[in-house]
Amino acid sequence: MNAQAPGGMENRSVEWEPRIIAFLCNWCSYAGADLAGVGRLQYPSNVRIIRVPCSGRISPFFILSAFQKGADGVIVSGCHPGDCHYISGNYSARRKFALLKGLLDHIGIEEGRLHFTWISASEGGRFADVMGSVTETVRALGPVRQMVGPGVRT
Amino acid sequence: MRGVNEMSAVRLGKGDVAGFLEGLLADWTVVAPVMHDGIVSFRAITSGTEADLDYSNSAQSPKGVVLPQVETLLSCPCSSPEGEDVVEHTPEPGRVVLFGVRPCDARGIGFLDRVFGEGANGDNYYASRRESLLVVSLGCSHPLATCFCTTTGGGPFSTEGSDLIMAEHGDEYIVFAVTENGATFLSRHGLSKAAESAVQAVLSAAETSVAEMQPRVGLSILKGSLDGSFDAAAWNTLTEKCVGCGVCTYVCPTCHCFDIVDEVSGGSRVRNRIWDSCQFPCFTRQASGFDPRPTYRERYRQRFMHKFSFCTDRYGTPGCVGCGRCVTECPVNLDIRRIMAFFSEKRGEE
Amino acid sequence: MSRTGLTERIREEAARLLADGTVDVVIGFEQGSLPLRATPCFARDAADAGRLVWNAFCGNNLSRYIRRFDKRVGIVVKGCDTRSIVELIKENQVQRDNLVIIGVPCDGMVDEGILQGLCKGREILSVEEGDGVLVVTDAGRTMRIPRDECLHQGCRVCTQRNPVIHDILAGEPVQEQPGDTYRDVAGFAAAPPDARWARITGEMDRCIRCYACRDACPLCYCANCFVDATMPQWVGKSVGGSDTLSFHLMRSLHLAGRCVECGACERACPMGVDIRTLHRKVSSDVAGLFGYKPGMSLSEPAPLSRFEPDDPEDFMTGGSPCAE
Repeated sequence: MNAQAPGGMENRSVEWEPRIIAFLCNWCSYAGADLAGVGRLQYPSNVRIIRVPCSGRISPFFILSAFQKGADGVIVSGCHPGDCHYISGNYSARRKFALLKGLLDHIGIEEGRLHFTWISASEGGRFADVMGSVTETVRALGPVRQMVGPGVRT
Repeated sequence: MRGVNEMSAVRLGKGDVAGFLEGLLADWTVVAPVMHDGIVSFRAITSGTEADLDYSNSAQSPKGVVLPQVETLLSCPCSSPEGEDVVEHTPEPGRVVLFGVRPCDARGIGFLDRVFGEGANGDNYYASRRESLLVVSLGCSHPLATCFCTTTGGGPFSTEGSDLIMAEHGDEYIVFAVTENGATFLSRHGLSKAAESAVQAVLSAAETSVAEMQPRVGLSILKGSLDGSFDAAAWNTLTEKCVGCGVCTYVCPTCHCFDIVDEVSGGSRVRNRIWDSCQFPCFTRQASGFDPRPTYRERYRQRFMHKFSFCTDRYGTPGCVGCGRCVTECPVNLDIRRIMAFFSEKRGEE
Repeated sequence: MSRTGLTERIREEAARLLADGTVDVVIGFEQGSLPLRATPCFARDAADAGRLVWNAFCGNNLSRYIRRFDKRVGIVVKGCDTRSIVELIKENQVQRDNLVIIGVPCDGMVDEGILQGLCKGREILSVEEGDGVLVVTDAGRTMRIPRDECLHQGCRVCTQRNPVIHDILAGEPVQEQPGDTYRDVAGFAAAPPDARWARITGEMDRCIRCYACRDACPLCYCANCFVDATMPQWVGKSVGGSDTLSFHLMRSLHLAGRCVECGACERACPMGVDIRTLHRKVSSDVAGLFGYKPGMSLSEPAPLSRFEPDDPEDFMTGGSPCAE
């Protein structure tokens, strides 16, 4: 995310496209994205995938940093409950996610910016569907305004 | 009031302050005490009525006017190749008047001038803010119990660092010019001359108020004692309650340590100068992991000795103006005056 | 029991513990240098113990200090402070055996900000505590103010005024207040999102990043705080923007299921930043979603160290797992 990514508002042209960061677990959701690719399923190119070992690896830092650096939306996806490669990473993650989501909603961050979901390795179709619907939700909200980094200070 | 021009003193009715400031806003950025959510802070006002001179002191010192907490030194767009399109952000603040600061804080700016403004190490960023700044201070008719300005060489009507100083007199302020800049400013604003009786009244009230605030300790005694006390065991117990936060340094009008950080922000790579604090664990930690000041004890000692020993050696004046902010704001009431008293008394014992 | 009674009891117990060598130090409060302040005191002998006091201004959470000692420590604590000690024990930061807990039943601590507000900028010269009233003298006059009207926000909704664990109880247990309904959290949430955002960012704009909140907190004991990390740097060093907010959000999440709402962070803040709104939301979710209240039991595991297969997930996109 260096060259064109963290743009100030002035960089946004009329043909603004949302930038969405997708944190995908290595074993299920990333494989689901692969399957979507292999199956030639269309999903929006707005999604930038970051592969993590497990949804349990996700720290709220990752998500807040993504927003600070200009992401318009963030989606986190892991294995379905019960399917975690590490047995219970996604269960532990779910508790953290619930608190983070609740806190961000509470302070008035727009609800459609942050998404959590479960996508398995066999759900290429679901991957494409979810990415499509998240992209549309974020597109409807417009460019991110909250939580963006401060820029030059004089 | 040392160095003021009694003859040219003018009067400014308390009711006329808002109008006067409003008039200044056309040509000046006016930074004044503003009450917001129960907290007084110095900020640029947009209307004369925002300023609230009926205050004891602001929660934070106004040093940010010359040394902002975050100041971008350089920046370049993220899209530029490395090393190209670098912009140097020399501040262009325009004309700024810092209105109604307490004399201790004005002295604080006077102190910062010695650190940033003088000699070969003069700092461009500081200088460009300082040169365009006019300091109008407001003498303290009612110093607080936490104030100890006379102990550190100042006083409730000290003029050091001020261009103009105001003193309360009934329902008006008597304004004295301290510097050439101050006198020029006064001459341009057509305020009416103060009555001779009023001038004499505020001058004698100022003298009384200074006399009432006896210095608590002798600075040279304190320094003498400190110079032999770097390894004193007493530091252990004196500083034991310190929790190691940065409150004392961040509210202080003279603490000036900073860090320089490079960050990517808002489409730019920026190099910022930010306040830092000797009370923080990262302040002296070295790349190897070794930290010469590993605990609150060494850190507190550093701040205290810096103020009352090292600064005196280097600048000929202590790095403390006695505003009392660290006394009121310390979360655990670690009172710097008690440490001063301890070392002053200790000398007699040894 | 009167406050003087508590002070005397604390002095006696501290002197006894120090004299018979049960502990090397007793951490308590002594009169501060200002009328509205009690200040932490580390008593090491009988003379020190004679300086200990208990009054309406013993707001600091002294359990902040116990990790510094590897010896036997006596500590004077309120109900909320014992809750943080419970969490510290559970997190293996202190050994229960090393502590002699002098618990003090607490009827709430006085918020000096409220008194200062009532005195409208006039300097407070002295405060005396009577039976349920505070006699406050400022530069202009003397006022009698009901004590209950001056309590910290957190003390008003506190449900654990009596110590959870103690070795010595100084004074009779006090009546507990009714259960916390998190009305303040629901009240805040009732405002439109834009108003909430404006309110929070307004608060964050005042933050000066002095980290007094972190350093006063008994459970913020990380040797290297995330906010100081540089590789990677999670949070920028700026003020008045999203970096400040990120710091406070992360801190409140890091304290999820651990924050005992003692209010030490808020009291420490020199700028009066409302950090409470964030912590209260997390606490209410920890209670509501996971049924956990921090610091109440030495055996109950921390909520973020465990899970249930049917934990709530209605916040998730795409609903429940596909039925396959």
